[in-house]
Amino acid sequence: MPKLAGKVALITGSGRGMGKSHALLMAEEGASIILQDIDGPLVEEAAAEVKAKGSKVHTIVCDVADANVFPKEIETAAKAMGGHIDILVNNAGIDTPGTIEEITDEAFQRMFDVHVKGSFLATKSVVPGMKARRQGKIVNVSSIWGMVGHSSHSHYCGAKAALLGLTKAWAKELAPHNIMVNAIAPGAVITEMVLQKGGMDYVNEKAQLIPMKRFADCIEMSYTVLFLCSHESDFITGQVISPNGGDTIVGI
Amino acid sequence: MAEETTELAGKVALITGAAGGMGRAHAVLMAARGAHVAIQDINAKGVAETAEMIRAKGGTAIEFAFDVADGAAVRSMVAETEAKFGRLDILVNNAGIGSATKLDEASIDFFDRIFAVHVRPAFQAVKAAVPGMKERRSGKIINISSRWALVGNECASDYCGAKAALLGLTKAWAKELAAWNICVNAVAPGGVWSQMALDEKDGAAGIREAEKKVPLGRWAQPEEISYLVAFLASHRADFITGQVVSPNGGASIVGF
Repeated sequence: MPKLAGKVALITGSGRGMGKSHALLMAEEGASIILQDIDGPLVEEAAAEVKAKGSKVHTIVCDVADANVFPKEIETAAKAMGGHIDILVNNAGIDTPGTIEEITDEAFQRMFDVHVKGSFLATKSVVPGMKARRQGKIVNVSSIWGMVGHSSHSHYCGAKAALLGLTKAWAKELAPHNIMVNAIAPGAVITEMVLQKGGMDYVNEKAQLIPMKRFADCIEMSYTVLFLCSHESDFITGQVISPNGGDTIVGI
Repeated sequence: MAEETTELAGKVALITGAAGGMGRAHAVLMAARGAHVAIQDINAKGVAETAEMIRAKGGTAIEFAFDVADGAAVRSMVAETEAKFGRLDILVNNAGIGSATKLDEASIDFFDRIFAVHVRPAFQAVKAAVPGMKERRSGKIINISSRWALVGNECASDYCGAKAALLGLTKAWAKELAAWNICVNAVAPGGVWSQMALDEKDGAAGIREAEKKVPLGRWAQPEEISYLVAFLASHRADFITGQVVSPNGGASIVGF
């Protein structure tokens, strides 16, 4: 039997990159998928691909940080999908470069709005239904930069670290309701976002700094997300898994 | 066990301490997913039973009965496994013994024994398995640590120390072996229903009491830990190395 048969999964930022990859893998494993992205045409393209896997699909096009719209959209989506959302992957993210001097107030605020507020809004929206059914899986997508920092992009590092704090608190708060909350902290992954920075030359150069000497494909992150969303991880909560090729080996 | 995946088809896995509990569950699950397994335990009857369970379901298993503290025996087990199956892809260092000692009653002999069972065999087995893995540029090593290695405990410091040592080895081996595409990770289980735990807790009532302290309100069945071990042993975890994953029901949420 597919690992996610009968489950409904909401994946934010799933118009492309890792989010879309998660959606496609979960669809292959039998889940119905709610795709969300701020980019309408992208999310419709992704929806067509998910449908081709035989899954039921619903799309949300909005800004995850919009408290007036996003929660209502989630409510509508849940109704359209049979009334329940079993899995939430808080994946929507942006990255803008900058040193402290270069990061504007607006850029700082936007970074936290998308990663942190967006995740909060989505989680708040799905938790009542998960509590009522006494089951749920929430995966927050952090980053190795949330664990070890970086010499720039401090607003990104801060937002990704905030997700780890939320993960751990939500895990404790929701465990009595049999809802598991975990984080994945990807290392170097080949995405459109990375390729835009400098193509494969950039990837190949940076790969030399990683113990395994390579970047991961998106699907390799999706495997971990799928595991954390399946019944196979029913005793795992409050944990952070970092697929990073040995780049970051920290904590315990 | 109805297993839908053949994710480990053709792989060869060696699991120490597989006469019961988690080690047996790891071996049975990996075999159900297509792996040929070699299993070891000091308990000859138990390890033979595990092998029989695997064969009864159409799997392949060879068993070894000896004290894992015997370094020469560990090395020849790895060699025999490679000779029998042609390779060794997955090594699970699972063999362990429990402890409930406080410092005033702890003996240096038992301290040595704890490290001789948990730590030295892992080193011996890895040292023996790595040349073949390097040659094939592929391998998965999974060290079984414990939640207590992360957060300590009010007794069993010898056990906590040995389990923490495995985390240090895990991280160093991950860095040393990454260049050969060998992934090394650790699993640090929380409370798991097993005979060892039943003995330590004086029966099921003791475990039920302990379960109340876990946020999820329960301990795991051994199979729940096996799912994680099998995941880390599969190609799905090819970019995961040097990491520690603790299935513990929320009992310990630490580090990153």
